[in-house]
Amino acid sequence: MTRTLAITLNALSLYAVALVLAAAFAAQLLLHELPCPLCLLQRLQFTVLAIGPILNIRWGPRPSHYALSLLAAVTGAAFSTRQILLHIMPGDAGYGSALLGYHYYSWALIGFAAAIVLLAAILLFDRQFERDETAQQVAPGAFATTAVWLVIGLTALNVVSTLLECGFGACAENPVFYELLKHGA
Amino acid sequence: MEFTALLLAVTVVMLVAWRGPRKLALTLFAVVLIASVATYLHHATDTLKLSF
Repeated sequence: MTRTLAITLNALSLYAVALVLAAAFAAQLLLHELPCPLCLLQRLQFTVLAIGPILNIRWGPRPSHYALSLLAAVTGAAFSTRQILLHIMPGDAGYGSALLGYHYYSWALIGFAAAIVLLAAILLFDRQFERDETAQQVAPGAFATTAVWLVIGLTALNVVSTLLECGFGACAENPVFYELLKHGA
Repeated sequence: MEFTALLLAVTVVMLVAWRGPRKLALTLFAVVLIASVATYLHHATDTLKLSF
């Protein structure tokens, strides 16, 4: 695998993270399902997952950048497992609605597990880490640059929505309204 | 509030990773990861309202 292909795959992974963040926003805005504290932590870990690919696109692929994403995926998997276990008892309806039979935290665990496997798979290809000292560093293309700014933009939007939801205090365990909008009404 | 701060911190780390020095991005990443785990552990010790 060449460096160019690895960078393209990293950009694709950023689009995948952007898709997850957009889907979470869709559930929040269209279905009016506000994320709980554990849900917010899982959303946060998806954004942390994107830092490794951004570094890979900027500085070139390095094992340390993939390691960052692995750490984020493992902690995200732990958080989603915790929420699955909270609702494991028979008769428990779970938190929020289900998508294709699985709640969002179950999908989050699947997503983090897939990320771990894909990261391990891409680490198998050593050629991407070979550095040609004579070659000039090429600026990332429009495809990768768009992916980076898309993820940064969606993360910034999450800052705004979380501030509206939680306000300046602790987030509600089972939020049903936006704390700041309630006070403004 | 802690989640807003964490998400804001991740946005900053992303911007540093994209535009700033690499070592600073790695350091900030470590800070954010530790803070998110600490937030999780803080919430994980909440009393659970179990249905059985």
